[in-house]
Amino acid sequence: MKIALAGNPNSGKTTLFNAITGRIEHVGNWAGVTVAKKEGSVKKNLNKTGVSMSVVDLPGAYSISPFTSEESITSRFVISENPDVIINIVDASNLSRSLFFTTQLLELGIPVVVALNKSDLLGKKRTTVDSERLSIELGCPVINTVSTKSRHNGLVELISETAERYGKKQLSPYRGPGANLFDGDSVDAADRDRFRFVNDLVSKIETRKNPSSKQNAQDIADRILADKWLGLPVFALVMWTVFAISQTYAGPFLADLFVGWIDSLYSLVEGLIDGKVSPILQSLLLDGIIGGVGAVVGFLPLIMVLFWLLALLEDSGYMARVALIMDRFFKKVGLSGKSIIPMIISTGCAIPGIMATRTIKNERQRRTTAMLTPFMPCGAKLPVIALFAGVFFKDAAWVGTAMYFTGIGIIIAGSLIVVRITGDRNARSYFIMELPEYRVPGLKRATLSMISRGKAFIIKAGTIILLCNAVVQVMQSFNWKLQIVPEGMENTSILAGLANPFAFLLIPLGFGVWQLAAAAITGFIAKENVVGTLAVVYGITNFIDTEELALVSGGADVASLLGITSVVALSYLVFNLFTPPCFAAIGAMNAEMNSRKWLWAGIGFQLSMGYTAAFLTYQIGTFITTGSPGSGFLPGLLFVSFLIGLIAYLMKRGEREPEVQLQMSL
Amino acid sequence: MANLVVSLVLAGIFALSVSKIVREKKKGVKCVGCPFSHASGKGGSCGCH
Repeated sequence: MKIALAGNPNSGKTTLFNAITGRIEHVGNWAGVTVAKKEGSVKKNLNKTGVSMSVVDLPGAYSISPFTSEESITSRFVISENPDVIINIVDASNLSRSLFFTTQLLELGIPVVVALNKSDLLGKKRTTVDSERLSIELGCPVINTVSTKSRHNGLVELISETAERYGKKQLSPYRGPGANLFDGDSVDAADRDRFRFVNDLVSKIETRKNPSSKQNAQDIADRILADKWLGLPVFALVMWTVFAISQTYAGPFLADLFVGWIDSLYSLVEGLIDGKVSPILQSLLLDGIIGGVGAVVGFLPLIMVLFWLLALLEDSGYMARVALIMDRFFKKVGLSGKSIIPMIISTGCAIPGIMATRTIKNERQRRTTAMLTPFMPCGAKLPVIALFAGVFFKDAAWVGTAMYFTGIGIIIAGSLIVVRITGDRNARSYFIMELPEYRVPGLKRATLSMISRGKAFIIKAGTIILLCNAVVQVMQSFNWKLQIVPEGMENTSILAGLANPFAFLLIPLGFGVWQLAAAAITGFIAKENVVGTLAVVYGITNFIDTEELALVSGGADVASLLGITSVVALSYLVFNLFTPPCFAAIGAMNAEMNSRKWLWAGIGFQLSMGYTAAFLTYQIGTFITTGSPGSGFLPGLLFVSFLIGLIAYLMKRGEREPEVQLQMSL
Repeated sequence: MANLVVSLVLAGIFALSVSKIVREKKKGVKCVGCPFSHASGKGGSCGCH
């Protein structure tokens, strides 16, 4: 039996999908999280029928008439792929909007079961819904569900009713007048008629004791959190708190325990093989694999605490307010209002963020967003931030926060530049997003999300990072004549030979040494490689001191080993964060941009932005701290001037007639 | 003898890593170990698949 889950955005479809299938799909308390369909099977403890039930979770839709690309996936599926039963997830706290779609689904003739989700919120809102009467009026079963609960959630009844409806006919309580879809007025008139029917229906079954016009605590919270002026500083404070907890307090404490285990493994293996095996094999196993992978994995507790806090924020409904705050800036610089959603997704991983740009209709805005989205620091960049923040900066929390805001600043500047180059600088876009209600974030959901991300992090460390570290170790151990490099002569190795030309180009940024260049290059395979490669080339087994129980306390030794100043460390961090993302993300950019010209321009732009930002960080920072510019100032200035001149030329050439475009993004 | 054992251990580790990458690639995963790769699953919202 094939079941389709369909409903409005943020009605809880993916949460319900996870609850009935046992999957751990990404959920968020805001509209637009799901942009593609997902499949799973109903859990055995819920399915008592013995019939195999496959479930398809569809992107949210307000109407069967496709208006956005996600909605077209939903309407195409329910119309063309003939699911046996549709479970229509209806937000019980927002009936009049949800039932519009329900009446359209009922007209298809496919059996429908309504899951009256979030029904636990009704009591808090002093609202009652007569679900029995609703069932009679709609002509289909209506089951109260709370998919966020693990017990007494109505899911057994929902699945059993779904099985019951299999193969039965579905009648519709309302038949639309059959509007001409190509005629806007005709569609509007039909929609008005349908809304009238839905409003009449809601007035019969819903009783509200709190008038919706009355201001509640949610509205008061929004006056502060989503305020035009206060919203941004509050967001900065929230991010600082997240980094302070994850990187200064809870994270390092947990990381210290964890790194202790990695060190014990290192010592155990060292004790077993020391002096008994060839030095090449010993260094490959100890420094390349255990040391290199261990250095990356050592940051896992910090990352997991950060992921957990971000998941809590997402679940609370706050991230939707962040989208609202940022929309004001983004639409002024020519980005789509919808651009903020890919960027928020990118804080986890750039690839799904880039893929989420497909919801943007305007081609130029979609490509620009795909190009700029990787500037948001993703999960893979967090170990790099944690390393440099911990080793070089006593107050670690501001570094991470600053990197996020630098990313946002570069996105805004980048968008202004791209708009100028492409010429449609007056293109305007309006973004309408429903703000979800604030709620106490679910600890279980946040924990599951954290475990899922942590597991993925370990898989990456055990595959790509491990192999890269092994290759780096081998290249560092041999010279071009394939002879073993004596200790202390690593600058004659293959790795040094390959990295030196790049290191030369990086002198104006303050880190023109082959070790740092090699780490930056391997970062293009996966950003965590920067940490792994630094561990291998400098022979560091972990970056977190096990004795001091604090990341920052153990920093001094690592800092002196790397031989760079705090200013250079910041410049290196900026370079690794704001140059092109990993190859997999570049592949996603290629797929979404669908234009080689845009792809190469995007990569060139990212390289230019990263190089320029690192140059400015190093040279200005060095001037402030020492009173004179840093090394390679003049050639660097010439190169950066050339990049700026090239961009200015392209911007001038790209000036065209103003183009006004209205994009309603529901 | 110790060299042989360590070589075999290393070969085993590399074989496991490579086979995991190959298996994931065969499943259509573009980003092995991206934070959403597990969460998104087949045809998931991650878009890595």
